[in-house]
Amino acid sequence: MHVLVVDDQAANRVMLKGLIERFGHNVSCAANGMQALELFSHKGADIVLLDVMMPVMDGLTTAKHLKQLSGEIHLPVLFITALDDQKTLLECLDAGGDDFISTPPEPIVLQAKLNAHARVRELSFKLKEKNEVLAYHSNRMEREQNVVSHMLSNALLENELRFDFLQTYLSPATEFNGDLVLSKGGPLGNYYIFVGDFTGHGLAPATGALPVAQTFFDLAERGLSVATMVKEFNRRLVKLLPDDMFCAAFVAELSAGGDRLSYWNGGIPDALFIDNNGRVTYRLPSEHLALGILPPEEFNSSLSHCFIEPGQRLVAYTDGVIEMTNTQGQRLNESGFEKKLKQFGSKKQFDQLVNSLESFQKGTEQSDDISLIVVSCEPTQLPVKKDDHSITHLPFELKVRLSEKNIVGEDPVTRLVDSLSHLEGIKAHKTTLYLLLAEAFNNILEHNLLRLNSDVKEENEGFERYYAERERRLGSLENIEVSIDVNYQPVDSLICFGIRSNGENGYPADEFSPVLDEEKMHGRGMQLIKNFSRYYEWKDKGQCLYIEYDLNLPIA
Amino acid sequence: MSVSREFSNDGKQLIIAIQGKFDFSLVQEFRQAYSHIGDSQPTVIIDLRETEYLDSSALGMLLNMRKSLGNSVKGIQLINAKPDVRRILDISRFEKMFTIA
Repeated sequence: MHVLVVDDQAANRVMLKGLIERFGHNVSCAANGMQALELFSHKGADIVLLDVMMPVMDGLTTAKHLKQLSGEIHLPVLFITALDDQKTLLECLDAGGDDFISTPPEPIVLQAKLNAHARVRELSFKLKEKNEVLAYHSNRMEREQNVVSHMLSNALLENELRFDFLQTYLSPATEFNGDLVLSKGGPLGNYYIFVGDFTGHGLAPATGALPVAQTFFDLAERGLSVATMVKEFNRRLVKLLPDDMFCAAFVAELSAGGDRLSYWNGGIPDALFIDNNGRVTYRLPSEHLALGILPPEEFNSSLSHCFIEPGQRLVAYTDGVIEMTNTQGQRLNESGFEKKLKQFGSKKQFDQLVNSLESFQKGTEQSDDISLIVVSCEPTQLPVKKDDHSITHLPFELKVRLSEKNIVGEDPVTRLVDSLSHLEGIKAHKTTLYLLLAEAFNNILEHNLLRLNSDVKEENEGFERYYAERERRLGSLENIEVSIDVNYQPVDSLICFGIRSNGENGYPADEFSPVLDEEKMHGRGMQLIKNFSRYYEWKDKGQCLYIEYDLNLPIA
Repeated sequence: MSVSREFSNDGKQLIIAIQGKFDFSLVQEFRQAYSHIGDSQPTVIIDLRETEYLDSSALGMLLNMRKSLGNSVKGIQLINAKPDVRRILDISRFEKMFTIA
């Protein structure tokens, strides 16, 4: 330990230095306050013994400066003074003094005091160290929260909460929302909404929100059903979440026309349909366990479906809404909430509804996350997704020769159309191209090669018998060949197909120009070819069917 | 599986979804999907959102279903058809026999 002795009396300095050195400590001496400060800034000290009355700078002023120089670390300052002058003692304490020693000092008392103050100083070192560790962790925590917050907001970039038909009130209780509201349009002009409530608050639920959000946006973009969605959410959450965590959720799909809703509700309060006056017309109760509880094989993805009368609105909310309390400790409850819905019943009064909820809980601390969404069930007017129409400029020709082995085992038409779909601009037409090729191929196969009679289809159970017979005859075919020639002309953007077989039976002449009868089981194929092709022709006495398809024709 | 069948929670709708290709290769599976529907007169909903390809045999199977179900169902709806699938249904005048939504 390093002790600094400050006294203008040389005799005192020598006496104290000798005494303290005998206790085993290092001692530096200064003759006045100025010298003491200089020494302290160079060499430091663990304890300072300070005379009160000194020239240049007295003890009281010196004490204040020393304390300041020492900063966060406690520097014990012991004044050397006669102990009978109360006024001086008080001034010493005011100036930051920690204790007194009398002159001449009692050696045992001096030693004990030095040791006691050394311990206090030691504690202050430990405290500083702990504070530094704490500050480090606190910074780190803040940084990590910022990272998660950043990731979460990136994951939610695709969230489409601004639609004319959607109204939301989202009020998290803490920085990280345990509620999750996701909304996105699908490829058919349909619309998906997810209202979820994770157990707990803070980082953990926020982390669970990441995979749910990504799955939701992905599956919504692909236009998949709510049943497929909830199965996938559950599969992921079961794997990810600890046993005591799960996610209550309401997931719904509104049709493009706004007239049909399919939904799945696991653990979210009854969603509601309300009319223009805010009256509840229909309840959409929870029928399942929350997501993230049941293993995939026990999970139930059954949906409920509603057909919606015009003018209805869907209301979905998390339990934070009905569990909010006022200053008297009363909960809002379902009945209170539904009363407010009636009071502010129209679409235009949504802001008033929100104000009314906020004023209900005014003066209390919000304890749970609150999410409320209202969807007006009207035609969504969302765009229907279209594939890229830009057409390839490379002309090409493709010849496919199929034997009975290829025909039976390899689903040639699907494969051919799948392959063609990889070419620019053709994907958008694949459903129609498949239809044309499948009709042509099956006509050639069934009539020219298998010699099946379509009239059978009209009989009772005839449809199944026709295809059973087709299977049987296919199995006994030998030495046959069906060829498909594909030719693409970029100049007039035409794809031409020629389908022919080595069968001897020509296509029956009376079916060359069929008359459509909606209820009839057969004759439909040629009618479809006629409708979707630019031009078609039976060639070589019904041995070859030639079809031209115009890629410039509008898809729908 | 390319044909899936599921009743809604209240049992009032039978939803049959067809994935990928809809043609005669599904004859048995499709017929199974609308068999045993009980006496509660459900609405049958054919969900075509994942149907990429279909041909006249699929149209025949739909007509066959309609004939076979008759009055044992409240109605048959074809839903979520992509635009090009919808066009095939429209040209075949299926709106006269089914609700297309």
